[in-house]
Amino acid sequence: MNTPWFSFSVQDFSYAFLSVLLEGVPFILLGTLLSGLIDQFLPSRLMTRFLPRNAFAAVCLGGVLGMVFPMCECGIVPVIRRLIAKGLPVSSAVAYMLAAPIVNPITALSTYAAFRGQGAAEFTALRLGLGFFVAVLAGLAVLNLPIGAVLKKTILESVTLSGPSGDGKTAPLGRRLVAAMESGVRDFLDVMVYFILGVGVASLFSTAVNQELFLPLSLDDRLAIPAMMTLAGILSLCSSSDAFIAATFVAFPAVAKLAFLVFGPMMDLKLAFIYSAVFTRRFVAALALGLFVITGLLCLRLAVVLP
Amino acid sequence: MNAILSRFAASGILMVWGIVLTYFYLSGRIASYLHPAFHIYTVVSGGVLLILSLALLLTMNGESSEHGLSRVGILPLLLLTAPLLAATKISPSNFGATAVLNRGMVHNIADLPGFSPPQDPALPSADGSVKEGTMMDPSLYLKRNADGYIAAETVDLLYAAGEPAMREDFENKQVEVTGQFLPALTGNPNGDRFNLTRLFVMCCAADARPVAISVQSQSSTDLPKMSWVKVRGKATFPVEGGRHMPVIVAESVTETDAHDESFLY
Repeated sequence: MNTPWFSFSVQDFSYAFLSVLLEGVPFILLGTLLSGLIDQFLPSRLMTRFLPRNAFAAVCLGGVLGMVFPMCECGIVPVIRRLIAKGLPVSSAVAYMLAAPIVNPITALSTYAAFRGQGAAEFTALRLGLGFFVAVLAGLAVLNLPIGAVLKKTILESVTLSGPSGDGKTAPLGRRLVAAMESGVRDFLDVMVYFILGVGVASLFSTAVNQELFLPLSLDDRLAIPAMMTLAGILSLCSSSDAFIAATFVAFPAVAKLAFLVFGPMMDLKLAFIYSAVFTRRFVAALALGLFVITGLLCLRLAVVLP
Repeated sequence: MNAILSRFAASGILMVWGIVLTYFYLSGRIASYLHPAFHIYTVVSGGVLLILSLALLLTMNGESSEHGLSRVGILPLLLLTAPLLAATKISPSNFGATAVLNRGMVHNIADLPGFSPPQDPALPSADGSVKEGTMMDPSLYLKRNADGYIAAETVDLLYAAGEPAMREDFENKQVEVTGQFLPALTGNPNGDRFNLTRLFVMCCAADARPVAISVQSQSSTDLPKMSWVKVRGKATFPVEGGRHMPVIVAESVTETDAHDESFLY
């Protein structure tokens, strides 16, 4: 090893920090504008009318929503925050939040393109299938938790207070548009605080930690899988392009790359902070641990069939 | 902060972000941060943020909904503006040697993001010759400068190292390649090599992977790390570690201005 495991440069940090901000802000803005419109124009009763009464089916529907309404991992948090306020069960919202960055056409296409010549179709299907499965498992786990243990107090209050708002039949359109803008701006400012903190931590690690440290771990599946998931957590890549990076880790087995591509869009340093805008810290920590363990175990199991 | 001050603060934060995003686009600085496909999102977002900022002020007297703006505290105000402005000021718009070395060099074309093995090329004619103007004709894709050197990128030579047909196009030919200087910490048995590096980007600078080829030269060890250099010399592909490695035997290494396009895509 010629370079130390940790070497910090403020210029490198600020460069990586800015580049992620510039890339992520448009998607957060889109998500928050959408959340403002949901707040004012999506009737609560519409949500309850179309949701299956069966809890398992509702969680699965949350996962499927990711295919129908694709959102990237940065923009989805403000959207689910409003959907929860409109009556979407938290379990379905968690399944949607975790599945959407993975089970969408852009991620599928980029994964296929990145793994051309390496069993692209099978790998893409495995990524989407495993992503959906883990997201639904997480949603089902949330079913058994008291809502107060999952949602932050302020979000919980907004759920309680929201009532019929947004159905506002009497408010003029102009006033509702202003209200939608205010809701969107509030969500933008709230989420950006956490986004900036998350990007700061992710940029610190992605520029200062010597990534060659992970290479010796590639020789054993049991080490390679957690190593790649840890790397995904540190790098905090965008789900639309992470497959191109994963494909370059040629020394690592395919299951480790799969773990990287399933765990990364669901949980990384940046997302841990963004999730904290909606969920309690304890829940975010438990979610991170649970996703790490479940994804890791499933990939380890898949190692038998995947070369 | 009271409601009116909070509204001004929120408007100010949006304005700062709108100005910064628009500035990066209009100044061209964005090219050093994002893949071209993302540039349009940046300027549109900057415009939307500026419009929202003004709209917040113009609707100040309008009635807010019950979900309207919450109070903006001093800490969030600072957190939402100070790091952005500080990073805009501090960032040199390129990575230094520390981050590049921490990411590890891509020396093998198979390790390049998005690489896929090339398709079988069209066959040459029966006598083995290559017809002019066909896909096999190297003169169509190898551009030469005024002095007759093939103008190549680091990636071209990495591809050539992995592809016998392409290697023939470059092997023992005079090439000119521009890139950033980094000392060779490995694969440098005689101490006369350095890495000529370019950053390969998929989305943004944060996912950049350094792509490097070796340059053999006696006179360049005191160059500043990550300085831009133009290398002229002979392209060779010796077998090292069981595979062909691209090594330019340099005739000259001169410092030059940074490339207009600092990234490879």
